[in-house]
Formats: sequence, C-alpha cells, structure tokens
Amino acid sequence: MNDERREGSAVATDSAREYLTFTLGEEEYGIDILKVQEIRGYDAVTKIANSPDFIKGVINMRGIIVPIIDMRLKFHLGQVEYNEFTVVIILNISGRIMGVVVDGVSDVIALRGDQIRPAPEFGSVLDTAYIDGLATLDERMIIMVDIEKLMTSQEMGLVDQTHLAVA
Amino acid sequence: MSIDMSQFYQVFFEEAGENLAAMESLLLELDVQAPDLETLNAIFRAAHSIKGGAGTFGFSDMAEVTHVLETLLDRLRKQELDPTVEMIDAFLQAGDVLKSQLQAHQEGEEYEDARVAEVCEHLERLAHSDEGGGEAPVSARDGAASSVTHWRLAFAPASIGRGTPGERQALFEALGELGRIQDLGDGESERCLWQLTSTAGRGAIEEILAFVCEPGQVEIDTVETPGAPPAETETETAYGFFADAPGLEAESSVAAPEPDQDALGYGFFEGAPGTEPTPEERAEAPDQPQEPDLLTEIQESNGYGFFRNAPGSEAALDQEHKGYGLFGGSPGMERVAAVARQDRLDDELGFGLFNPAPGSPESRAENDEASASIPMDASSAKSTAGRESRAASGNAAKRPATTDSSIRVSVEKVDQLINLVGELVITHAMLADSAAGLDPVVHERIMAGLSNLERNSRDLQEAVMSIRMMPISFVFNRFPRVVRDTAASLGKKVTLKLIGEDTELDKGLIERLADPLNHLVRNSIDHGIERPEVRLAAGKPETGEIVLRASHRGGSVVVEVSDDGGGLNREKLLAKAAKQGIPMPDNPSDKDVWQLIFHAGFSTAERVTDISGRGVGMDVVRRNIEDMNGRVEVDSTAGRGTHITIRLPLTLAILDGLSVRMGEEMFILPLTVIRESIQPRAEQFKTIVGKGRVAQINDEYLPLVSLHDVFNSGRPEPDPLDGILVIVETNEGRAAVLVDELVAQHQVVIKSLETNYRKVEGVSGATIMGDGRVALILDVDALVRLSRRGG
Repeated sequence: MNDERREGSAVATDSAREYLTFTLGEEEYGIDILKVQEIRGYDAVTKIANSPDFIKGVINMRGIIVPIIDMRLKFHLGQVEYNEFTVVIILNISGRIMGVVVDGVSDVIALRGDQIRPAPEFGSVLDTAYIDGLATLDERMIIMVDIEKLMTSQEMGLVDQTHLAVA
Repeated sequence: MSIDMSQFYQVFFEEAGENLAAMESLLLELDVQAPDLETLNAIFRAAHSIKGGAGTFGFSDMAEVTHVLETLLDRLRKQELDPTVEMIDAFLQAGDVLKSQLQAHQEGEEYEDARVAEVCEHLERLAHSDEGGGEAPVSARDGAASSVTHWRLAFAPASIGRGTPGERQALFEALGELGRIQDLGDGESERCLWQLTSTAGRGAIEEILAFVCEPGQVEIDTVETPGAPPAETETETAYGFFADAPGLEAESSVAAPEPDQDALGYGFFEGAPGTEPTPEERAEAPDQPQEPDLLTEIQESNGYGFFRNAPGSEAALDQEHKGYGLFGGSPGMERVAAVARQDRLDDELGFGLFNPAPGSPESRAENDEASASIPMDASSAKSTAGRESRAASGNAAKRPATTDSSIRVSVEKVDQLINLVGELVITHAMLADSAAGLDPVVHERIMAGLSNLERNSRDLQEAVMSIRMMPISFVFNRFPRVVRDTAASLGKKVTLKLIGEDTELDKGLIERLADPLNHLVRNSIDHGIERPEVRLAAGKPETGEIVLRASHRGGSVVVEVSDDGGGLNREKLLAKAAKQGIPMPDNPSDKDVWQLIFHAGFSTAERVTDISGRGVGMDVVRRNIEDMNGRVEVDSTAGRGTHITIRLPLTLAILDGLSVRMGEEMFILPLTVIRESIQPRAEQFKTIVGKGRVAQINDEYLPLVSLHDVFNSGRPEPDPLDGILVIVETNEGRAAVLVDELVAQHQVVIKSLETNYRKVEGVSGATIMGDGRVALILDVDALVRLSRRGG
C-alpha cells in the first residue's frame, strides 16, 4: 500500500519531501506541506445545521466561505478546547479550501520516502486507509496522514459525492 | 501551416455569432420601401467579416454561404437592385444556415443540410433577378467554378513584398498551375496586371495568394469574353487598355475582399486615360474602327462600376475625349453621382469615383492597413465629418462604435474582482468599527483617512459591479425576429416596439432572461393578439403591437411585456381552475385570477399550436424568474391587452435580504419571498394530532416552520410568543417561519457554500455580514420540506 501511494503522489521518491507536523492531544501528525495554504488562529465560526459534529461550521476567509473541521473531534482525541493557541490549518485540496482545527503546529520536516515505515494493520479497530505510514524523528513518532484522501472521503461528508464525480 | 489555428477558433465563434446577430437585427430594421444605404453597408460588413473569418479558419462551408450572401448584398448596396421582402427572407434564412453551421463547427462537427444549397441557390437567383436572357455579367464572380473564367489580377508588387522580378515570377508560376496565365502589363510599372484563364474559383486563387500576401491586396476580377475566339485577343488588349480605368477600379474595389486603396489610387492615376501614354494609345483606337464599339459593348455588358446605369457609349466616349474631366464635375461626374444617393453626393465628391458604394469609405476605415495608406485629403475628411453627424442619428453606425473599445474577460476574473472588492468593503467596516472608540479630535487624520477609504471603496465597488452589466438590448434584439416569424406562422400582423434597450443588468441575468421573455412574447402573439379580421371588427387597428420595455426602478430592473390584444378571459380561467380543482376564494380578485396562468399544466389555448403546448408553460416562466430572485406580475384588461411585469434584482451576485436572528446565529431571508411579519398571539398557534403545527393567520392555516427545530439548534426552543412570525411565499403556498428577532434589511453579496463545502439543505448560499462573519441565506422552499420531514 505504501509503494502504491508513493507512486501516486510523490513525484521525487528519492529526494526528501517536506511535511508539516501538528499535534492532536498526545499524538503528532504529518501532512504534505504542499497541501497547506496557510495557518491562522481560530475564529468564530458560523454553525451549519444538521452537519456532523466534527464540522464546526464555516468561516469567512477574505471573502471565501471555508468549512472548518475539528480533527480532534474527528479522531476522538484530546481535550476540545478553543483558546488563543488553537490553530487552524487552511488546506487546499484539489481546488477546495478547507480548514482543520489542531492543537498546535510543531514543525516542518523533510523526510525521504524510505524514512516512512508502513503502519501496522489494526484490523477493524482502526481504519488505516488514510495513514501513509509512520516516521520517526528524534524519538518522536509521526503519523503521516494522506490528508487529501481523508478530506474527500465519503465518511467525512465534506464534499458532495456527485460533485466529486464530476470533478 | 505550423500555427495551430484552433486556438483562435473561440474568438472566431464569438465574433461570427455577434456579426450574425448584428446582421439579423439590421435586416429586420431595414425598410424595404426606403432602404437605408448605411444599414445595407452595415449588413454587408457583417457578412463580410464572417466570410473573412470563416475563410481564415478554414470553415469553407460558411465562407461559401457568406460569399453568395455578399454578392447579393453587394448589388443591393450599390443600388443595382432594389431590396425586396423576398430578399430579406432569403438573407434571414441564410443567417439561420450560417448559425447552424457555426454551431456545428463549435461542436466540432460538419454541418450537412440540403438547406445550404437551397439557400445559396435562392440567393444567387435573387442576385441575378434583374438580368434577362440568361446573360449574367457578374455570375462568374460567384465562384461557380464549373466553367472557364478569365480572372484578372491587379496588384502593386512592391506593396505586397514581391518587388523583385524573381519573386514575381514565382508567384506567376504558382498561379499558372491553375490554368493559363498571361501578363497583361508591361512588367515594369508599379502595377502588375495578369490574366488567368482557369476553371478554378476565386477561392483557389486567393489561397495561392494567401502564401504571399493578404488576398485583399490583390484585386481579383472576372473578365467576360465575347464568345468569338478571334475577338478574344482584341478584347484582351482592350482590357489591358482599360485595365486601370475608373470603371474597373470602381468594380474591383467592391469585389475584392479588402481593397488596397493605395494600389487603387495608383492604378487610377497612372493607367487612367488622363496620363501620358494613354492618349497615344487612344489615338490608335480610332484606326481600328470596330474597337470603340467593342469597348463600349464590353463595358456595357460587363457593367463595370459606375457606368452600369449610365448610357454606356456616352461614358466611353466621354472617357476617351476628356478622361480626367471626371474628377471635376464634368458631365461624367454627374452621371456617376446620379448613381449615388443625392445626400451623399456632397460628402464624397471627388473620390466618389473610387467608391461607388457610398458607405465603403467606412469599411475602408475599418481596415487599418488600408486607411493608413490613404492620404486623407480634404474631401475625405469632409466626408468623415459628414458621416459622423449622420452617425449620431443612425442606429446602425452607432452600434459598432460602442463595441469597438471593449475587451473580453472571463467571468471568473470579474467574479474574483468583485469578491476582493467586497472584502475591501468589509475590511473598511471593521476598521471603522474599531476606530469608532477613538477621539475624533485627537485622531483626526485617521478619521479623515477612513472616510476617504469609505468613499473610494464604495466607488470601486460600484465600478466593479458595472463590469458585469450589459445593456438589455442583448436579449431584446432577438425579438424582432421572433415576432416576425411567430406572427407570420400564425397569420397575424404584429409590430414590436422596444423601449429602454440601454437598461443595464447583470450579464448572468440577461442570459437567463432570454427564455422566459421568449415564451412571454410568443404567448402574447399566440394568445394575446387577435387575428387581423377580429381586430378590425373590434375597432382596433389591423396590426397588433407588442411592447417590450425595460427600466430601472429603485434597486431593480423592471421588464414589461405588453400587448394590445384581447386580454385574459376571467370566466375561462375560473372555469378552468374549477375543472382542475384549484381552490379559489368565493369572489376572487382579478389579480388572483391572473395568477392562475402560472399554475402548472394550465393552458387556455383552445388548440395546441406550434407555439403553445410545447410543454413549456407559464409555470416554468415563473420558476425561472423566481430562481433569479425576481417576481412576475400579470395585469390584464379585457379587450385592451395584457401587461406582464417582471421585476429583477440588478445582479444575481447581490440579494435584498432581511437578517433574522435565531439564538446567536444570523440568517438572511430573501426579501422577495417575504409577505409580512407579525408578532404572534398564543391563540394563533394550533397543532394537528398534537404534532403538525400550524399558525392561523387571516383565516388561513399556514404550516409553521421553526428555525430552531429545523436547524437543531440544540437549545431549548424559546417561547414562540417572544418570537416573530415571518409569512413567506413558497412554491407550495404560504408558510410561517418562526424566528427570534428581525434584525435589519441588507443588500448582501451571495457566496456559494458549495465551492468549498457541499450543498446544505434549507440553505441556498452564504454571505458575509458587516462584521466579517458568515450568515447563511435561507431557502424557504427547502425549509418547509425539511420541517415537514422533521415534524
């Protein structure tokens, strides 16, 4: 699965790619930095009725309506508390702009493909379809997330599936 | 060719589409009894542009049709023929064919239809309708390549970059491949004159020329040869003799696609009878007694240029004796001028000779190359001035002028600009808000800056919004044709009056307005306007009138369609409503009755005609208009006509809305759906089987929609008596929406939720409020549906 993934998105397999790491509770995650548009603080959101609870609502980002997803609620992690340190990572995923709420952004790291180890299978306990693998950096374990796959998945309900089929 | 032409196709498609539309509207404008030359020229130009573009991009089928079209138009504008209704019909048909061809090319297909040949043939027949006995002097120009044609090519080698003899020879040989070619000129002069005898059409010759120059820089003409072979050589010399004579110039300047006026001018002065070598040549002429007669004959039969209508022999004689007397009001000049319209004579005195068609200086002006090379003498300057003063009154001349200085921009870019400006306005509001606490005396400069910023950003917003605005004439202009065709097919007499075509509204709206308006106009002709005999019997003029009027009223655009027909029949409508089981009050007002026509499947047409009964009803019209946040109203007086009013917002990007509060959230209700708002009393709330809640308002039980319920606010619902009931109009009748509070009325900029998220039920979009927060715009139809499901 890992190999297949690399073929799909990593153009240069031997050279290092950069990842943005962020924390959710006790865990550290990494996402492809090319998908990140900007990082900003948490603002008041406008709630959207009848949406899953991890979708906090929408915000106005310079005239664009952007949905905000709380990753901690999605992954059932950490204490959901909004303060001045709460960070929103604005992602640009295949032309769609969306924001994810995380506890904090820690670093930008460069990793070569061979530094990422495949994640063990957890069976039905944990769906690892969106996890690219695990990387180790200075004793820290970083969970590499395929953010694009995650955000456009049906289960997130962020994107109209019909819409996606057209696009 | 190495350049990929397909990248320019889109431009051609757009331009050709515009030209076709212009041509059509001009044709409809043309008064057959008193044709306006300006209009004829404008039509010719439109056809010519299409032909040029089609030729360049290799759409030969379109070029063929336009070519035939042009031939007839050319004769009309030269006043060799008088326009007839039949011609106009043929032109319109040709326009339709071209439209279909254009569409086919746009879809990457070839258009195959017998109609093409039919229309071409019809046009050709019309073009030669004045020529009896099958003698068709200009027929060879029609590109019919079936018979051998003598083509004459005249050009100035230097001006097309073929200055050296070697280069000339190459071209000579290339053309020689088409048939027999002869050099008629002396080969040394600044002008070359070749004669090509070939079965090839004009297109083939132009194709070869296209390798070396603009086809327009070379005059291509046909030469009619008298049947007898011995006479041929004589004719050829005779032609050589007259090759550059004024008559030929006049003819070729029109016939050649883009005449090089410079070359023409040279030709005129050098080869004209007045110049030195000619008198000697002419002196020889009398030695051959048959020659002048022959010349005269040829000139007559070929009808070159001006002398077509003038007595041919006299003209020829005149030329012989005092050829250049033509320039200065000599008898020849008068004859020439007689061809042109009297009022243009003054303007174009002098070079009228070069341009038998009075409008052609204008077409020349369009051609940059050509106009650059024309020395602007006093008379031409005068004519320009004269034309300008006419242009002020003439519609035809005005339109091209306004389109000249425009650019095509993708809607996306404009939307982005609008977004950014909207953002700027909001940022200003936020700044002003935070500055409100400052002491205006201490922070005078900040305050002044802020007020400047406010003014500038407001102006900017207005300017940006106006980019999307287009005059409504874009949609109105199709109606003369619609009315003409519909009335003709129904055997009715209808005239159309357009008022306020300059009224501007959003481009997106204009496009969406076309279909509903089309339906309304056709309806008016079909159901509204009576047959001529009925009208006469009713004491009304035989010809009915439909008025399309557009105007700005407040923040909206009002489009009215009115006819002076029979009006709606109240009894019939009520009977129909009863038959269909549509509930009506006991004594319905006229307004209620007229609204019936918007019910689905409600048609009062007694029989299904071509026009009505096609499945597009007034209900669709209303839905389309309401989708644009607009409203439709009907007013009718029996025997006097029907008046339909469409009220639209200026733009789709902005909505008039009422902000309502529910808990801490703000929502926007579109103003167009709101009927009234009331403070409810306890006894107005009723339940049905303990569940379905209704509100009793004015003896009506309306379904009650609570925003708290629908949007699962999670908070306990506040006492409904503290809230406000907003009565809204939905697709399925009225409903009452319970909200906490009405806040304010705004103009809001509509943003899509779907761009980055997905469709949310009950919400049609989002907007950004003054404080920078997002508010959702409610979709009342969906709200009612949602509420029913939840309840």
